[in-house]
Amino acid sequence: MVDDRTSTIKLPNLHSPPKPVIVYGTFIVLLFLPLIISTPLATEILIWTIFGLGFNLLLGYTGVLSFGHAAYFGLGAYAAGLAFRYLDASVPVGIIMGILAAMLLACIIGALAIRSKGVYFAMISLAFGQMLYFLALSPLKGITGGEDGLTRIPSLDFLSFSLGKPLPLYYFVCIITGIMLFVTWRILQSPFGKLLQAFRENEERAKACGYNTTLVKYCSLVISAFYAGLAGALNTVYLSYVPLSTLFWLTSGTMVMMTILGGKGTFLGPLLGVGVFLFLQNTISLFTPRWELFVGAIFVVIILVFPGGIMGTLTEKFAAFRMRRQGE
Amino acid sequence: MLLRTEKICKYFGGLKAVDDVDFVLKKGQLKSIIGPNGAGKTTLFNLIAGAYLPTKGKVFLKDKDISRFTLNKVSRLGVVKTYQINHIFPNLTVFENIRIAAQVRKTSFNIWRQAASYREINELAEEILLQVELAEKRNQPASTLSHGERRYLEIGIALATQPEVLLLDEPTAGMSCAETNQCADMIKNLNRNLGLSIVLVEHDMSVVMSISEEILVMNEGRTLAEGTPREVSDNEEVQRVYLG
Repeated sequence: MVDDRTSTIKLPNLHSPPKPVIVYGTFIVLLFLPLIISTPLATEILIWTIFGLGFNLLLGYTGVLSFGHAAYFGLGAYAAGLAFRYLDASVPVGIIMGILAAMLLACIIGALAIRSKGVYFAMISLAFGQMLYFLALSPLKGITGGEDGLTRIPSLDFLSFSLGKPLPLYYFVCIITGIMLFVTWRILQSPFGKLLQAFRENEERAKACGYNTTLVKYCSLVISAFYAGLAGALNTVYLSYVPLSTLFWLTSGTMVMMTILGGKGTFLGPLLGVGVFLFLQNTISLFTPRWELFVGAIFVVIILVFPGGIMGTLTEKFAAFRMRRQGE
Repeated sequence: MLLRTEKICKYFGGLKAVDDVDFVLKKGQLKSIIGPNGAGKTTLFNLIAGAYLPTKGKVFLKDKDISRFTLNKVSRLGVVKTYQINHIFPNLTVFENIRIAAQVRKTSFNIWRQAASYREINELAEEILLQVELAEKRNQPASTLSHGERRYLEIGIALATQPEVLLLDEPTAGMSCAETNQCADMIKNLNRNLGLSIVLVEHDMSVVMSISEEILVMNEGRTLAEGTPREVSDNEEVQRVYLG
């Protein structure tokens, strides 16, 4: 292990992964979430958090913006749904099929688009996502259910627990979220996680160090698709239905907004962004059908107060506070 | 010969940035490339490093043709460049900057084992930190370093990849007089004590003349003169075109 004898003032790195206690602590808090908010909302938050953790690996830690992540989320949802409906697959098998389908798609899209940079990659990924949406809408209507989405998915059980009931489903999703939080934390601590951050910071330099940066970006995309596929499959388990909107670009846009709101490149940013977004959406929509207007205005205020996202700005302020304390 | 170019050319449209240059670097040698602005020094440097593809001619590393190799491939073979303008990882700590470069030959795509548990890599990074005199700043984000320290970090990142040939592009640019002398000493030590072969592009003639074993002078993309510092400084053509 590295010793700290030579260090003078230890300044916190804003993008470094948190201490293990934060990861375990977050999981414990999540266990009690249904006591604070409704169980279906809590389940939805966890599913989108998994999606967000993967998206944040790509956007926040690798610095690659994708506007087509709905494709991986939606394909994961459809693949799992089709497996449940037509193959009578068990929950784990359906989820694995969702993950594999999303990863396979990422492998294909990645092979075609990964060399594009910045906004070009974002646009190409958006185009691929929309292609998939329109395929599901019309040519593949017979399989996907078209505009109506994929329906008639049988109720699912896991280890004799009925996942049709809110609480068993919540804890099923919660355990998977806990595992994914831990996995993400491990990835960020690994040589590959460090490499992702180096890529985000300075791709040219990473290349000059000898890294194949195209491969780094590709792997990051495929790993991110793993999370999206898993989240999509869990969404199917949660809804017992696959809405066509899972493939629509708005799903990608929502994910981008959630990640930025929470703080891209921060470990807990996605959880916070998803939580705030879905909570506001659910609460305000109870009072007005024009909820988007109010939620939008609140987001503007949040971004003005927290320019680095909620978690990003809080971490920055905390770091500045610690520096002042050390200075004194 | 450790590294050589054979009649190498690089044209940007009608501009002949490098034209028919033969460059030779022996093992353990410290050789500088000098010349007026626009002479083609950095272009030649980038051709050697794999950042540019040559229009004509070849680059050989120990008789292996590396002319069509990309920047990262050339770097993995041991020819590593630094940049004229600082290219660091600004939001990572100084230590992480070095460690990321140090892990390139050991492990890169392991997604499970913690980076901190690779003892050999961490020890190498610590050693490099001492060499570039940044050990005390190891936990600071690189963006908080002064200009001179960033130049050192730039060299440290390149060193951490364990190169055989180090390509230094104006390492003393923007440094104060004291920092420049210190940096020149460090480069000399890397060459003399560690036996590292170094190609140096530099504008500061006092640095070039004091530490180089050989100098290649370029003008308008072509070789103007080549020889020891004494031979080059005595060359009338070089004096007329560059040294004044």
